[in-house]
Amino acid sequence: MGLNPLEHRGIPVEDQVKSWSEINPEPYDKDRVDPYTRTRVILMNGIEVESIIFSHQFARMTDNVDIKQKLALSRRIDAQQQKIVNGLNPGDQSPLETTIGYEQVAVDLTAWLARHEPDPYLKQALDFALLEDFDHLYRYSNLYELLDSKKAADITQHLSEITPGRPTVVEHRHPFDDVNGHFETHTVDPLSRLHVMTIVAAEQQTMNYYMNHGAEYVEPIARGLYSEIALIEEEHVTHYESLLDPLDSWLKQLVFHELNEVYLYWSMLQQETDKRIGSIWEEHLDMELGQFHAACDLLRRYEGVEPEEIVPPSLPDTPVTFEPNKDYVRQVLAEQIDLRKNGPEFVPLSEMSPLSQEYQDAVNAGGTPSEQVIDMNREKSGREYRDETEGPNPVVDLRDPATASR
Amino acid sequence: MPTLTPTFDTGGLSKPVEAVRVDPRGAIDGDALAPGLVDTGLNAGFIADTLSAMLAHERCGVHLYRSVAGRTNNPMLKKKYEEFGRETLEHVTIFEGLITDSGGDPEYVSPAARAVQGSDTKSLESTFMLAGSVDVMTQEMVLLDAVLQAEAMCHANWEVLAQLADVLPAGAVKDRFLAAVGKVEAQEQEHESWARDTKAQLTILQAKSESMAKIGTKAEQLMETVKGWLS
Repeated sequence: MGLNPLEHRGIPVEDQVKSWSEINPEPYDKDRVDPYTRTRVILMNGIEVESIIFSHQFARMTDNVDIKQKLALSRRIDAQQQKIVNGLNPGDQSPLETTIGYEQVAVDLTAWLARHEPDPYLKQALDFALLEDFDHLYRYSNLYELLDSKKAADITQHLSEITPGRPTVVEHRHPFDDVNGHFETHTVDPLSRLHVMTIVAAEQQTMNYYMNHGAEYVEPIARGLYSEIALIEEEHVTHYESLLDPLDSWLKQLVFHELNEVYLYWSMLQQETDKRIGSIWEEHLDMELGQFHAACDLLRRYEGVEPEEIVPPSLPDTPVTFEPNKDYVRQVLAEQIDLRKNGPEFVPLSEMSPLSQEYQDAVNAGGTPSEQVIDMNREKSGREYRDETEGPNPVVDLRDPATASR
Repeated sequence: MPTLTPTFDTGGLSKPVEAVRVDPRGAIDGDALAPGLVDTGLNAGFIADTLSAMLAHERCGVHLYRSVAGRTNNPMLKKKYEEFGRETLEHVTIFEGLITDSGGDPEYVSPAARAVQGSDTKSLESTFMLAGSVDVMTQEMVLLDAVLQAEAMCHANWEVLAQLADVLPAGAVKDRFLAAVGKVEAQEQEHESWARDTKAQLTILQAKSESMAKIGTKAEQLMETVKGWLS
């Protein structure tokens, strides 16, 4: 049995305020950190950011002072937690190095969620975007070698392969085709709900990161690549958020947000290899339990709903885990490379929506940075950058032209 | 204790439609919705969807009464809300029984039930999301209005159920519908009448009273006025 958050009160929210020194932790060493510690930091930063943004949106929908004050209190604590988590990233880690970490999150988080997702439609949605993020890792890795003459595998430590996925140039879709159907709140497996909430937060953080950091580069190719991939991440946020059932009230959504944070801090704690960072996950778990109960109190008071009615008797006993997913990614790549969208449906290439074809033609007119970066790195390094630990790309057309004939 | 919120863990079921993608383990449609009604000559699927919507309204009613009973400042209103809340909970049980007797599953949430829940959720939210816009006296009327709206729909639902029972062919199913209507309809009429009469009573009371919310009036004074209503 997993953790039952209703049985653990955690730290009361009003006792969670921290001092400036407490929210300014020592960063990890970028050369010694476990790559999956870096991905855990990136994920949990995104989870806190989503919590803060959701709370701000909720607050704008009400003038109930009691609710607004309680949201403000939990939100301020979330904001402090976000500073602690994000503060673990070292200042000498460049935005591009952090970006490669973001794409490692996107690959290994999405693959893990898809592997454990029981609902076939939601699993399909995860598999679909997985191949796109997988390709982004390859494109950014080439940018890294092009600009810094460094190897992305030094960051990923060969835990995730670096090779093309569904090429970014064909990922551009008309916005209508990113809108999916959604799960049904009365029938959704609690695990599926947590999966969708987690991936929405992760993709939103990636979108926010790229939309802000791309402009920090001088080189036009870097600026162009960040802009292009930032727009795919915006597609992914649309894609994933449309899977959520809008029938849930604001207060129910608040409870589910807190529940997901409890589940994820508990998950991170189970696998953390860095003791010091593990103690942060542990403390944040207790803090989230306190915030979860504060949200439950609001639900009970204002909607007359007992939290037990909507919260599962226990959280999943399997923690969300960062681990290599190489075989799984290769299998999805081999089977779904030619999958496309037509409205909410996942369809073969031949049935791709004409709207998306028109959109793709429009945005790719005049060249595409995600293709140009590979050409430029081939020219500079004499070959493109890949880290194919398990052999050549499973899709023949995606094999490295320089080695495909060998 | 009946189910107040169907979920995956209670065995929730639903029908895939338009944007709604139901996990195949919880998907249901066709004759499976109400096997006991298939031989009645009526549209069994439609009746199953309608019963689910009516049940959803009763379930939302329980939540509404819990919420308003916990937030009213008037002891008489609180007592009434608690009493009606208990009766509404019984109605949920009766509806669940009716659906089960028809061969259906009370954990089924039809598209119509989703629409009802959406509407009832917004109605309940209207009693607290804009609480900062109203004084304590107006807040009481807001709570009462939500109850009146809910009870008007409740009463209409039971009247519709009575007419539905009339068109059912003679037999066990018809008898069960009639028995349920006989048990509940008068209560629903009482709930709606009480809400309607109380709204009128409180409106006239305030119209005739000199104390009303004015700039500078202390909240404590208004609270005392509200507490004294109906006593």
